[in-house]
Amino acid sequence: MRVILMLIKKEFLQVMRNPLLRSILIIAPLVQFLLFPFTADYEIKHVNIAFIDHDRSSTTQAIIQEYLSSPYFIGHGILASNDQAQEMMLHDKIDFVIEFPVDFEKNLMNRQKTGLAITANAINSVKAGIGTAYVQEVIANYMDELASAMPPEQNRQAQIFASNVFWFNEQMNYKNLIVPGILVILVTLIGAYVTALNIVREKELGTIEQINVTPIKRWQFIVGKMIPFLILGMMEFIVGLILMKLVFGITVQGSVSLLLGITAIYLLAMLGLGFFISSVSENQLQAMFIVFFLFIVFVLLSGLFTPTEGMPDWAIKLNYLNPLSFYMDVIKSIVLKGGTLQDVKTQIIALSCMAVIIDTAAILSYQESSK
Amino acid sequence: MQAVVVDHISKCYSDKVPALKSVSFAVNQGEIFGLVGPDGAGKTSLFNIMTTLLFADEGSVTLLDMDVECDYKKVRAVIGYLPGVFSLYPDLTVEENLKFFATMYKSSLTENMPIIKPIWKQLTPFKTRKAGKLSGGMKQKLALCCALIHKPEILFLDEPTTGVDPVSRKEFWDILKTIQKQKITVIVSTPYMDEATRCDRIALIQEGEIIKIDSPEKIVKGFEGSLYSIRVKRIFDTLKVMEKCPIECIFYPYGEYVHAVFYDKNEVTIPIRFADFMKDNNMEYSDMKKITPSIEDCFIELMERRKSE
Repeated sequence: MRVILMLIKKEFLQVMRNPLLRSILIIAPLVQFLLFPFTADYEIKHVNIAFIDHDRSSTTQAIIQEYLSSPYFIGHGILASNDQAQEMMLHDKIDFVIEFPVDFEKNLMNRQKTGLAITANAINSVKAGIGTAYVQEVIANYMDELASAMPPEQNRQAQIFASNVFWFNEQMNYKNLIVPGILVILVTLIGAYVTALNIVREKELGTIEQINVTPIKRWQFIVGKMIPFLILGMMEFIVGLILMKLVFGITVQGSVSLLLGITAIYLLAMLGLGFFISSVSENQLQAMFIVFFLFIVFVLLSGLFTPTEGMPDWAIKLNYLNPLSFYMDVIKSIVLKGGTLQDVKTQIIALSCMAVIIDTAAILSYQESSK
Repeated sequence: MQAVVVDHISKCYSDKVPALKSVSFAVNQGEIFGLVGPDGAGKTSLFNIMTTLLFADEGSVTLLDMDVECDYKKVRAVIGYLPGVFSLYPDLTVEENLKFFATMYKSSLTENMPIIKPIWKQLTPFKTRKAGKLSGGMKQKLALCCALIHKPEILFLDEPTTGVDPVSRKEFWDILKTIQKQKITVIVSTPYMDEATRCDRIALIQEGEIIKIDSPEKIVKGFEGSLYSIRVKRIFDTLKVMEKCPIECIFYPYGEYVHAVFYDKNEVTIPIRFADFMKDNNMEYSDMKKITPSIEDCFIELMERRKSE
């Protein structure tokens, strides 16, 4: 017991005295919380739009006015030709071109089929996708107005209104999605990254050999490493929860103690991963690359930044091996939906199994003597 | 009882170059045993095997009747190890390092203070300084304290004086003598041959093989051949010419001199015959005199002879 306490004390002394690590632990959550949610905002503003008007009627003028009065669009005038539009899009001056065909108004008034062409610059697919939705919404609004302005007998068509209600994230606020994701990243980084670098550093310094020639047992060394970083990880997570409340006003809907408990399980898996990586790497650079590689794969698969629904089947199935994905589910469920133990039972089982497997691998891979 | 028995140890790393070839020796309890050899001779590999950090491919090492592979836990409790490179925590203070390692050995700072007292006294002024900020000599003393804090029965020192100034080196060896008085067996490696005389017995190791084990005095006594020191003007040219010398000999530069070991029964005529040979080759030299070999001469002679055989 005295040995383990000493190992833990040593670890904290070292963390406190390492200026780089200290600033990572303090600055990382602040920067991630204060900067990240704003950069990862999916809301599109300042959509550059231009028009090609072959009709030149009052209706087309009215629609164009609709666009120009919207805060989302910046008008770039009425263009003479498609060539000009293409040229401007090529130079990234405009994102959208709306082309009104000849007799647009006439066809519309005569209740004949008519259309207009929306051309989007899809280099930025998110902007193109969400922008298209905005563009269509403006037209839909205009059509509604038009219909209601007509005398009722002329307005014979049955109209279907599709209305969207987003549950659990009512304003479709992306911060609600991104902020819990940042909690996940924070815990993962502290767990895997800092642990791996710490142990590899002992290898580089040669202190691990000095420890190995002492009669301390393997489990004592491992526990002595895991407890300090488990505590640090939990502290970071709590700081994250507080920042989430203070900066974004997001409170945990479900049980905080359940959330902390699952975070501890997840951290144990990540600590084991860090430990394992440090066993197979020779120096900090190697360890960094392995963690970075795994981290990117985990994050991309998890659906934090990209929806998983668009992924091929095998990629979705691969997520069953991704601890980050399970943990993300838990965070989203408990923080946003107020999920209970029953709701996250599967994830708890999955994370616990992963923690046991990863930690066993970590313990087995740690060699006190080399061959 | 013998403190250390190394029995036919062989080790080969993945690059297929054998690091140790069937090395055997025994160390008596309470002696200072020196392992002398050039860089890359296999000293550190041997140390790592003896200190349970590395497994040998073949052979066995027994420390105080315990096998280093089977009883490694017990072995670790009775040995102290000072590695060749400084491996304490640079961001912990002197005192914190010592306390940490004392606790790892389930000992305490006070328990074995008498053993490290003479060294610790010198470190006391720097107690609160971070270990990484110490001078080289002080780092070494701290490391020695950490290796001794649990009163080991056998102390392993891997090149403790490499890169240390001559005054500190002398001091360090004086410390080793006091450690020996505490009935601790000391095994020390060094690339400096002049330090060998301070050991009770030495093993000369070269390319993974032990080529001689004996006390320094006996090694000097057993020197074969007759050693001459010759002052020459152009050492490089002289050495080249001497390769053709008809008298069987080994020669090597020694400061501004050349040392030559002649293996010839007819010892009296060696200087005359050598003078003739040098004259024929237009080489100038002066001050050729017979000298008694130092331990360094013995080692070089042994290694050179082994190479030529």
